[in-house]
Amino acid sequence: MNTNLKISNVTKIYPGCVANDNVSLEFNSGKIYALLGENGAGKSTLVKILSGVIIPDEGKIYLNENNLNLNSPSDAKKNDIGMVFQHFNLFETLSVFENLIIDSDEQRESLREKIDLIMKKYNFSIDLDIPVLNLSAGQKQKVEIIRCLIRSPKVLIMDEPTSVLTEQETSELFLSLKKFSEEGILIIYITHKLKEVMQLCDEVAVMRRGKLVSVNEIKNENIESLANKMVGQNLKTIKKKKAKTSSDQLIKITNLNFTSEDPFETNLMDINFSVNRGECLGIAGISGNGQSELFQVLSGEIISEKKSIEFNNNYIGDLNPQERREYLMAFSPEDRLEQAAIPQMKIFENVALNNFKSSNFFNNGLINENKIKEHSKKIISDFNVNTDNIELKSQFLSGGNLQKLIIGRELITSPDLLICFNPTWGLDVGAINYIHETLIKINEQNKSIILISTDTDELLKLSDKISVIHKGKLSKIMNAEEVTSEKLGILMGGAN
Amino acid sequence: MIIDINFVGLIIASIMASAVPLILASCGELITERSGVLNLGVEGMMIIGAISGFALMTVTGSLIIAIFGAMLAGVLISTIFAFLTQTLITNHVATGLALTIFGIGISAMIGKNFVGIPGKEFPVLFEGLKDTLPLLGPILFGHSIVFYFAFTLPFVTSYFLKKTKIGLIVRAVGDSPESASNQGINVRLVRYACILYGGAMSGLAGAYLSMIYTPQWIENMTGGRGWIALALVVFSTWNPIKILIGAMIFGGLTIIQFHMQAIGVRIPVQFLTALPYIVTIIVLVVISRDSRKIRLSTPSSLGKSFYKDN
Repeated sequence: MNTNLKISNVTKIYPGCVANDNVSLEFNSGKIYALLGENGAGKSTLVKILSGVIIPDEGKIYLNENNLNLNSPSDAKKNDIGMVFQHFNLFETLSVFENLIIDSDEQRESLREKIDLIMKKYNFSIDLDIPVLNLSAGQKQKVEIIRCLIRSPKVLIMDEPTSVLTEQETSELFLSLKKFSEEGILIIYITHKLKEVMQLCDEVAVMRRGKLVSVNEIKNENIESLANKMVGQNLKTIKKKKAKTSSDQLIKITNLNFTSEDPFETNLMDINFSVNRGECLGIAGISGNGQSELFQVLSGEIISEKKSIEFNNNYIGDLNPQERREYLMAFSPEDRLEQAAIPQMKIFENVALNNFKSSNFFNNGLINENKIKEHSKKIISDFNVNTDNIELKSQFLSGGNLQKLIIGRELITSPDLLICFNPTWGLDVGAINYIHETLIKINEQNKSIILISTDTDELLKLSDKISVIHKGKLSKIMNAEEVTSEKLGILMGGAN
Repeated sequence: MIIDINFVGLIIASIMASAVPLILASCGELITERSGVLNLGVEGMMIIGAISGFALMTVTGSLIIAIFGAMLAGVLISTIFAFLTQTLITNHVATGLALTIFGIGISAMIGKNFVGIPGKEFPVLFEGLKDTLPLLGPILFGHSIVFYFAFTLPFVTSYFLKKTKIGLIVRAVGDSPESASNQGINVRLVRYACILYGGAMSGLAGAYLSMIYTPQWIENMTGGRGWIALALVVFSTWNPIKILIGAMIFGGLTIIQFHMQAIGVRIPVQFLTALPYIVTIIVLVVISRDSRKIRLSTPSSLGKSFYKDN
């Protein structure tokens, strides 16, 4: 049966921001629709309205000509609208099966059979009786998809589904989605990744600042045209110039091991690598393979053996992050709001946090506020942070602006080495471009970068050398020119 | 010296009796905490239950009205907590502490007229079977209905959490209220229910103290048992069966140290009094040291307020 979903004149206004401005769209089953836009364009709000999480101020939703009253997520479920959220809506400490049975009215046994059938049909293999926190991101997503499929939905909404997936997992997902579409499920695919839209979808709707700016068939679009519609201006493409190979070694890691007491962390085994001045070493991998442990060991959040890390001819393995900063290392951790900045503190207070000794931020234990503010203003203007209010609490900065602030805070002290972990995760194209340009610039100034990232495109764009981390072990280090994303994907999956 | 085997049985039975209020209050608080709510008002709810039960018993003369009235009193006072923390989104810790202070104060006020009044005898079950079995007879038989209820409760609680749909929903809410809400679960309703249930169990624990264990009203008669109950929940890593073990150890050492003091063992009294606390904590820490299990049973959202942004 054909499914027709109509969004009619939907408006949602938040204080100080129109998230959806009179949006009207129509979808028909048999096709895969892309809803494209930068962060904050309003696409997440729109799909949350479709899934009943957010109630619109105005406008109506029709499914097969019936006006739907979506006041809660269960209303959406009742009307056969399924949604896989960007941030998984799973209960980490419950088992996979418990996660699935919680919103199902079926008996245990019949549900189990149903799940087994679904898994067989789409070639998923997941142990139903282990807690969700033991699953990889790709598996968690499959659990979410199974949860939707159990209810045999008419509409399946995927919100930024690939942000946590590897290349292989992404192509597996695309195959499944195409299969679902052939079976008559209407698929709405939300993303800011243009490549995926071109690969997967039949029609694309672009949103910008809450407004629908274009609806078109994919065959009439290309990556550039979509990017320009998305950003609303012409984007320049950035490319890294091949750096002169330097042989001046900056950091050397020798036989670095880390064994965690937390069973949910990954142990690092026998890590060896070195980075020369002016070089960018990319470390690829599926999230949860030891990246955060590696970052913590490199940054000094976890202290290791003194001689395992040699930086600028000093052994610094046993130093804490603050002491390592004194040796001109800088860090940009993965979680911007939890690790890099303190959300409730103002911008300038956050700026002061990484500079205890070398700066004159503190005199005899008192805060030198003027100095810090002056410094913060410089960061804001040098690094293009889009605010002029340094008294603003950091939590109110957008992801992109916060990341620029953090990178700026780290770079303004002119470090020799910047270690960053997923620096562009969840950012929009404009911000990603800016961060990438900045990172390339650092390399050009003969400073080094260790870039731990789950985004293969980013790694291929920025790195001079690439290694892959899998289950806490590093692959051999390869020159970036020799590497393709397929090859990385295979290594990330654990093959040799 | 001949030790009468039935005397040993009586000691064990008295240990179990002293564990009853801890088991009741802990199992109630466990459900509350599993839904992500930290209610530090257990002591307050218990003492309200104690005075309500005793007062109702004295005034109405009905034990049934008194027992259910005490549970209702626990529910009512926990409703205040639920309203503050879930509807007005106040801080769990501060609100819980306030609840305890409030409970102690108001129970003392109500209790003024009940000081010195003798309690009523509470009927016991299976009295006649007491002498049929050596050792086990006094342990198993001749106790109040509340006693039997308390010793069934940890197993029922465990079954409820692991095997029932509602138990699953409670755990889900405690794990991630955001996800639960997005799944269409009414987080606030679940948490209200869990808080009210915790209140009812604390109320019952209090009533047990003032109506069965020491049938009289004494100001402040809970004497910190609410805090022990709270500690048991945490140190048992939210596991009802371990609560039972912890409560028995605590009750046991409390009774034994009384006997030791009575016999005149040459150990400082202060040390003996502190012993139950120390040993209970050590034992529970030791049996619960599996960090994987702790991670899986700790309610991730414990003590955090949940706002639905809409």
